[in-house]
This record gives sequence, C-alpha cells and structure tokens, in this order.
Amino acid sequence: MASEDERRCLFGYLKERFGIPEDIFKEYLLFRRKKSWQLIKNVNQVTYASILKVSKVGVRAFQKVGAYVRPTTRIIQIFGHKATKAKFEIDEEQLAILLSGEKLSVDLGIDKGYVILTLKDNRILGLGFFVNGSVSSQLSHKELRQAMLIY
Amino acid sequence: MFEKYRQVVPEFLQFQKSLCQPLPTHLRVNRLKIDPGHLVSLMEEKGLSFRRSSDKNKTMYIAPGLDSPGNVLEYFLGYLHPQAFTSCLASIVLSPKKSSFVLDMCASPGGKTSHMAQLMDNTGLIIANDLYPSRHSSLGHTLERLGVLNTVITAYQAQEFPLKQHFDFILADVPCSGEGKFRKISENSEYKETKARLALPDLQKKIILRGFDLLREDGVMLYSTCTYNPGENESVVGFLLENREAKLLPINVGFDYDPGITEWGDKKYDKRLERAARFYPHRCDSVGFFMARIGKRG
Repeated sequence: MASEDERRCLFGYLKERFGIPEDIFKEYLLFRRKKSWQLIKNVNQVTYASILKVSKVGVRAFQKVGAYVRPTTRIIQIFGHKATKAKFEIDEEQLAILLSGEKLSVDLGIDKGYVILTLKDNRILGLGFFVNGSVSSQLSHKELRQAMLIY
Repeated sequence: MFEKYRQVVPEFLQFQKSLCQPLPTHLRVNRLKIDPGHLVSLMEEKGLSFRRSSDKNKTMYIAPGLDSPGNVLEYFLGYLHPQAFTSCLASIVLSPKKSSFVLDMCASPGGKTSHMAQLMDNTGLIIANDLYPSRHSSLGHTLERLGVLNTVITAYQAQEFPLKQHFDFILADVPCSGEGKFRKISENSEYKETKARLALPDLQKKIILRGFDLLREDGVMLYSTCTYNPGENESVVGFLLENREAKLLPINVGFDYDPGITEWGDKKYDKRLERAARFYPHRCDSVGFFMARIGKRG
C-alpha cells in the first residue's frame, strides 16, 4: 500500500497541475509497486482478496520515469474530465501532427509541464508536454497509431 | 462440417450455410466511458453506421463496414470493445449485481470481465483469474483501456483456485475447443480435431466443480463455452449435477436460444439440462455458444 505521504504527493500533483480534486480519490486505494502505483476502488472485498497471490491490481495510475513520476494515459483518460486547468483541446489534424513526432506551437499561459490533450466534446486523449511555447505528445505511439485517424 | 451434430442442431443445413459466411463485426459500447448514443453519433460523423444487435440492449452493436474496430480512435479512448454478441450475452445472463464479489475463473482476454465491471458500474470487486502470466498483459491492457477500476488479477489454475472465500457470482468461461468461432471463409479453412481438445472435458469438469465449491449459498455461477460439443457442454454440467447439490436456473436473457440437449447419439443427459442455452450462428449471426446458469439447491 502507498504511504499517506505518497498519496498526498501524487494526488496533490493532480490537484495542483490540473485542478482534479483530491477528494475524489478518497474512495480509492493506491498500491505501490517498484516503478508504478496502482489505483483500485476501496471496497470491503479487497480485504478478502488480499489473501490471494495477486499479480495486478486495478489501473496503473502513476509511473516512475527516471527521477520523475508521471500520471499514466489511462488514469488521465478516467479522471481528466474533472480537470479545470492545463487542458489543451486539439483537432484531429493537430493530433496527426503530434503523432508524427512534431510539436504544436501554442501559448497556453501556464508553467512548463504536462497538459491534458483533449478532442472536442471533452474526449480525453492523455498527456502532452508543454515547454518553450510548444506541446509534444506523451501518448503511446504503440497504442495510438496514425492509422486510427483514417476513420 | 460438424456432421456429427446433425441430430442435435436445429435447421442443420442453414447452420452449415451460416458457417460459410464471415462473422459480422460486433462490438460493445463501454458505458463506463461513454453513452452509447453519443458514440453512435460520433461514428456517424465519420461515415460509419452502427446498428443495434438487438432492441433489448443499448450497448451491443453490429458495425458494418468497420472490419477492424481495434483500429479506430474510439478504441484507444476505451469507448468500444470488439466482442461477439453471444460473448456479451454471457455477462448479461450472469448479471452480477452492483457491489458484489465476483470471480472470473478464466478471464483473458478480458471482454467479459470488463463487461461485468460495466454492469456493476465499477463497484464491488472482480477477481480476474488467468493461469498464464503471459496473458495478463493483454488482460490488464483491456481492463485499463476500458477504465475498469474494480478488478484484481490472479494467476491460479482455475481448477485449483483457493477455497478461502466464497463469491456472489462466478463466471466459468472455460477453455474449450472453440467450434463456435469456426467459419469456413476460404477453401483452406478447416476445423481440425487435436489431441489437446480431447483432454478438455476432464479439465472442464474439474473447473466447474471448483467454481461451484467457491460459490456462496445464494450465489450464481455461469458455465459457458463457445463450442457445440455436448461432451464439453451438457456432459460437463451433467457431471456437476451428479456430484454436487446443484440446480440449473432459468435463463431469461430476452434473446431467443435453443435449449440444452438431453440426448446425443447413444449418450443421455440429465433432463434438467433443457434449462441450459445453446446459441447457434444461423439464429443469432454470431459465435456459437453454450451457457448454463447454476445455483445451489436448498
């Protein structure tokens, strides 16, 4: 299980950077693995499950990248609609540019760091990274391929 | 094809004919992430029309013209999951209630697990078990993509899952010969019997007994396969009825199906097996399936 400090730090980051309220994570447990943190609903039955040999719990929510920790695409897709800031809406042409490895020049008026990439209607794609007036993709090129934009 | 089932499959010629047609693309809309109507309109904007698989369910669709649903943006977003209509019916027949404790004994690749999570609205807890750690990656990927937050993955042999606790709902979608998936779409496609398939009924019998022993007194278990073979279906459920205080519960899925059989060649099965359900491709234009809904007597 992740420590209270870790919870405060990780959920605090989501609050500070994206405005995602920390309260919504009260009903979740956070488990620490070597290089990642897993999130699962906190229900009575988890106690029963704890006597099993478990290989994976819930959704991978955060992962270590070098010295840093970043939220995963999937956790952003689940909770990103609660974000109030550091969101960047793009269209499918801009998404194609990002997937080709190029950056998008934009003035977001925020500090450097992660941004939540969305399509219209608040469809949450995942994360981009904003620095020096441009945004690059942090989306998995293995999972989100340019071929997916044909339709 | 499947000549040995001529006596038990109704409208056998139509059945055989249906096996020469390609399987249509069926998919399930993931209500955990999107309203079905919204997804349908998004796809219409892209020139793709989805048609409901049945009037009785708002999440199951046929997608003509979409050969690879795994190749659309909405797949990445977790809005849809390619899944056979009959495979979806398994979770619907079991219908795990919100906040319940569920065991999926053979969970990979996770279509039914994620569907149950959807029916439970991400409440309660599902133990998604699969023996092979190599399959956990795709299982975990499916669950994460679809936003499932109430699942734990374990790696026990299904037939030896620890008897440490009991479950409200159990899905035993067991390894099977997969006859129901077979379609003769080219001259070369041919269904072949293998030695490994001959060993399946023994394994299936062990799994169904263990599943039953893991069930709460008022719990419900679903035994399912995607094969027509009575040796993997009625024979296995009959074995449970002989060895445990089990009963077959009615299946009110709201879709037409054929009853389980009680006779095949020189074999006779328990009459109660008429309560099981057989789904044939010529009747539902999907993968052939068998389901038995099981409870405890007394």
